[in-house]
Amino acid sequence: MRPKELQCLVTFKTTTEAMAFEKIAKTSGLKGRLIPVPSIISSGCGLAWRENPDNRALIDKIFEQYKIGLSKIYEIEI
Amino acid sequence: MKKIIDARGKACPLPVIEAKKALSNFVAGDTLEVLVDNFIAVQNLSKLAKSENFDYSYEKVEENNFIARFIIDRNAKYESNELDSINCNTARSENIVLVLSSDKMGEGDEKLGHTLMKGFIYALTEQDVLPKTILLYNNGAKLSVEGSDSLADLKLLESQGVEILTCGTCLNYYGLSEKLAVGTVTNMYVIAEKKMKASMIIQP
Repeated sequence: MRPKELQCLVTFKTTTEAMAFEKIAKTSGLKGRLIPVPSIISSGCGLAWRENPDNRALIDKIFEQYKIGLSKIYEIEI
Repeated sequence: MKKIIDARGKACPLPVIEAKKALSNFVAGDTLEVLVDNFIAVQNLSKLAKSENFDYSYEKVEENNFIARFIIDRNAKYESNELDSINCNTARSENIVLVLSSDKMGEGDEKLGHTLMKGFIYALTEQDVLPKTILLYNNGAKLSVEGSDSLADLKLLESQGVEILTCGTCLNYYGLSEKLAVGTVTNMYVIAEKKMKASMIIQP
């Protein structure tokens, strides 16, 4: 079982947007990854971006710059 | 106080029952170590720790020899005797082999297939019961090499006792022989043997 740690979690409205975000994130310096949305959260398309909370500002910047439709940003222990 | 229970050779669910019995007398600051000889017992003890909110860790001393450790940070008190979540179906869960024969999950769009496969391996790391072995061949061999998005997950699984075997012929064919980054290289005889001896084979 994976040890739990505080993570910033971004959910998306559509799978396509989640995958588009992944592509941009990798070239923008984010260190996180696309994961299936944890079952404690039910919003979004089924995929979520899991990121170190320290990079929260960068996430906001990417959304602002690329106009990707995000569903919600969480900070939770997963 | 530190107590050690030697539960090696004891049939499931005895290790859990004995651990539970011992823990019921424990107070904050105590440590319990349970010696067990199979990974199912390690996982069942982990469920016990989780249900009671105890700090839990385990180490693999050698093949078929594990130490499960409970650290008690409060006075233990049990109200229920439920052992429902304890999995004793060892024949079925003892030798699960996961076969990754592709770097994509399912038929259809290629990009979506990659995304789903990554998600599957991530979700696997969150399971209570893990496979004993993961076999990677053909395009599946691309998952255990440098640059793979699933590398961190496969390393985590390996650190938890999962054996990760990648087909050497496949690595060679794809020019990835030098890039293997988790587990070990294997051959078709071992792949055939692992599949024949598996109690259950999972393919995503």
